[in-house]
Amino acid sequence: MRSFRLSPYLFIAPFFVVFAAFGLYPLSYALQLSFMRWRGAGEAHWVGAGNYLYLLTSPDFWASLGNSAVMWLLIVPVQVVAGLGGAVLLANARLRLRALFRVAFIAPFVTPLVAMAQVWIVVFDQDHGLVNHLLGLAGLPGVEWLTSTAWAKPTLALLFLWKTTGFAIIILLAGLQAVPGGVYEAAALDGASRWRQFWSITVPLVRRSTAFLVVVQTLAVFQMFAEPFVVTEGGPYGSTTTAGLYLYKHITASDLGTGAANSFLLVLLVFGLSLVSVRLLRAKDGT
Amino acid sequence: MNQNRPGPLQYAVLALLAIVFLYPIWWAVSSSLKPAADIITDPLSIGALTLDNYRAMFADVPIGTGFANTALVLVVRGAMTMFFCPLAGYAFAKYDFPGKNALFGVVLLTLMLPTLVLIIPLLLEMSALGWVNTYRALILPGSIDAFSIFWMRQTIAAIPDELIDAGRVDGAGEFGIFARVVLPVIRPGLAALAVLTTMNVYNDFVWPVVAVNDTSHQTLQVVLSTLAQNITGNRIGADFATVWGELLAAGSVAMLPLLVIFVLLQRHFINGILAGSVKG
Repeated sequence: MRSFRLSPYLFIAPFFVVFAAFGLYPLSYALQLSFMRWRGAGEAHWVGAGNYLYLLTSPDFWASLGNSAVMWLLIVPVQVVAGLGGAVLLANARLRLRALFRVAFIAPFVTPLVAMAQVWIVVFDQDHGLVNHLLGLAGLPGVEWLTSTAWAKPTLALLFLWKTTGFAIIILLAGLQAVPGGVYEAAALDGASRWRQFWSITVPLVRRSTAFLVVVQTLAVFQMFAEPFVVTEGGPYGSTTTAGLYLYKHITASDLGTGAANSFLLVLLVFGLSLVSVRLLRAKDGT
Repeated sequence: MNQNRPGPLQYAVLALLAIVFLYPIWWAVSSSLKPAADIITDPLSIGALTLDNYRAMFADVPIGTGFANTALVLVVRGAMTMFFCPLAGYAFAKYDFPGKNALFGVVLLTLMLPTLVLIIPLLLEMSALGWVNTYRALILPGSIDAFSIFWMRQTIAAIPDELIDAGRVDGAGEFGIFARVVLPVIRPGLAALAVLTTMNVYNDFVWPVVAVNDTSHQTLQVVLSTLAQNITGNRIGADFATVWGELLAAGSVAMLPLLVIFVLLQRHFINGILAGSVKG
């Protein structure tokens, strides 16, 4: 039975080989690199906490975090509300065409982000785009969707929302369907209004799914890259240079030590935000 | 949920939502079939249909190369995921061995590692290995991922132990049990894994954009983004409309395969997404 003891190790070994080579090794290397000044060629210099201090005192770094924070505010609360609304609408077992609606809502999630980012360039073009064309038909002035600092972030947030709200609906729908129907009947018998039922039964019971959604989307928003990279290239005036895109700019500037330090700061931030989100959603459990 | 018969208002809201979600896809595909000038002068019309945008796009953009590269990466990475992840999941679900919990803990920890933190060191590793602009660089990192292992472990844990013991009694080897007993039983889970892996690899963007810069190795998504950059680069060019036409044609061609797979296999897609939420 010798092979019996060895087998499980053999079965899991491939993952650990790949992880060691392309996860653990680069991670430890990145940690070293974050304490060095290195431009991708020539000598590397040990600078201690220099890269971290540079970033923490750099307006660009804080601007990138600020941009991502605004994106987060534009996306996550809207998505939780819209996701819950969509899930409640779909949850009724007597709803006809339910599968069809589900397919329609999830379809954007399946489209390639880069392709849709290109469609966004065309649809929101200020001179010839579809949206300004429609505004014109309604007698309204056009908006500089992608070229004004005020509108570029909401326009990119809209792309993100369009693409992933179907995902939110499905996740929350799964949470809702785990609620036994009898709970509502009992509440109705006790004279609870529909609104009361929603707040006292539905909301608490989908809290786990909501927490999951918030954490996953927080990670995604702070790593957001393709949307600003393709649609706005971080502009206008850096207003869509998200944390993820700012990190990438260290690569194109060959400022690799700073880039490594930046990625660790970002990871700390994202972990922190995820923990806070989970805590906040848990804290409400007592209600 | 409450089981009252849904009213017309509920259907109206759902239908409106469905239109909002589907319209951008419809608009992009239908506009790509219009004469390029019409996309700009009359974005709402659907009049004369033409394939001109597609002809111009195929002539100007190496989209075939992009598809071929994506297909290659997809097949190799997909095969690795579909073989090694259930195998590891099986070990974690059905064996007891020293260090199991600690090792599984490592798998779970890597789930929380944001991709971005690895990009720079991974790029340096690739250049040290001489792997920049190779298929190896596109395929190997992330080819056996923690999430798929976790998910396969959950799936396989649901198989009754008796079934596995019966295989053992019949004299099958440890690997034989995996191949002949476990894999056939988890076929629906494997289908969902295949669908989800296809979507992830097909749409992968950050790493391919960093790891590859010569045209011959670019994946489809990178080819598309290069096209977009050409456009924003010469916005005031005389052939503005033509470029938009090509852009929409390329986007439509890129959307098509996944949308078709999605419509055919939507149940597996949704199962994949839901399995993803289990880890919360």
